[in-house]
Amino acid sequence: MNKVKISAKNIDVFYGDKQALFDVSMDMYEKEVTALIGPSGCGKSTFLRCINRMNDVIDICSVKGNVSIDGHDIYDKSIRVESLRENVGMVFQKPNPFPKSIYENIAYGPRIHGMANSKTDIDEIVANSLQKAALFDEVKDRLHQPGTGLSGGQQQRLCIARAISVNPEIILMDEPCSALDPIATAKIEELMNELKKEFTIIIVTHSMQQAARVSTNTGFFHLGKLIEVDSTDTIFSNPGNQKTQDYITGRFG
Amino acid sequence: MMKDHIVSAYDAQLELVSSNLIKMGGLVEDQLKNSLQALSNKDTSFAEQIIFDDHKINALEKEIDALTYKIIAMRQPLANDLRVVLSALSIANDLERMGDHATNIAKRVANVKINLPDAPTIEIVKMGEDVQFMIKQVLDSFVKKSDKLAIKAWDSDVNIDDSYLNIYRELLETMAGNPETITGCSHLLSIAKNIERIGDYVQNIAEDIHFIVTGQALERKSEKRINWEDINQ
Repeated sequence: MNKVKISAKNIDVFYGDKQALFDVSMDMYEKEVTALIGPSGCGKSTFLRCINRMNDVIDICSVKGNVSIDGHDIYDKSIRVESLRENVGMVFQKPNPFPKSIYENIAYGPRIHGMANSKTDIDEIVANSLQKAALFDEVKDRLHQPGTGLSGGQQQRLCIARAISVNPEIILMDEPCSALDPIATAKIEELMNELKKEFTIIIVTHSMQQAARVSTNTGFFHLGKLIEVDSTDTIFSNPGNQKTQDYITGRFG
Repeated sequence: MMKDHIVSAYDAQLELVSSNLIKMGGLVEDQLKNSLQALSNKDTSFAEQIIFDDHKINALEKEIDALTYKIIAMRQPLANDLRVVLSALSIANDLERMGDHATNIAKRVANVKINLPDAPTIEIVKMGEDVQFMIKQVLDSFVKKSDKLAIKAWDSDVNIDDSYLNIYRELLETMAGNPETITGCSHLLSIAKNIERIGDYVQNIAEDIHFIVTGQALERKSEKRINWEDINQ
């Protein structure tokens, strides 16, 4: 087992008076894919958003507990949210490329983070990121056309390329394939398999089979609580908790 | 008590797999019982009927195979459902082989034109009845999803192995004493072996049921009481 990359301890999240997460503690390992599953509203996306402090932008949201990356508390006052998000990229349910060219979609991040000094540097980052996202060959002749003109699956890979352009260590994916057809989904899954050699990936998914295929560990959430976390093999073949079993076998009433 | 699936058609498919397995197990139990009866009564016409009946067991195996493939393709079963579906394939396969062994007994009864010696025949029928009870026990353990009952059936096999050894020894002695019984005794040896093999398949099924219920492979060793050295003198 790889070393712990992200460690969440006793996380409570409130939206105003309503508590969305209850005392969630979970370790996620370096260069592995960790899947978060559970029915809608169970808190898995809320938990994911704690890892890059996306919940900060919601006024009524408050987070208690501790999330650390490589042992450093990311909610510490000394942490700049911008540099945290540079380190923790995110890919959303619907592909959301900027209304700019394919090239600019990727160049934007490295530019604002001051990661490149010259056009040659940027060119290299763009090509490199597109290659890592397995998109380069498909778009290399139309880099200056709008990113929104790509197919859904290509747009999602563009968003992944954009996320990795700033050299993060962690990629959060919130149902990245739910708007994609099975072929585009397979391409993203194949890509995740490649990306995990370099990145720590946390994925929220509603597809049990996807979680079973891509992840090493899986956490099951229900009503704001982490019910069970274990190796993906165990969760899908012989889970320890009856609620987990009922959910993954389609018995949830 | 297991909760129902949200999709009731899925429950219906899984129930059909189970009910077909139980039906198939019942047919195998009957096939053995009838074969033993034909053997006791030297009833060749009944034996012919038993041989014919074997196709019902084979047909059910095919039905279970088709259904489990369909469930895997349609539902992608997980956890306990996956264990039931995969084990159903293996149990149906074992039951089909058990049916073949029971039918083999009837084939001997139907085709052997000489008199089989009485004393060892009685012993063999007794052993067959014990195996028949094991089949019943393992089927009950499937219906009740009882790991305990499955292990009980599994453990009974050592008695069958003992009986088989005794019958083997007795038949050797009979043959040595009366060479004219060699042909008949050889047929009886085969029949005894068929019954002994059925007991082994019951153990396989018991292991599958243990896996369905617990999610773990059954790690168990039977007491090895047989000493084949005794009869290699």
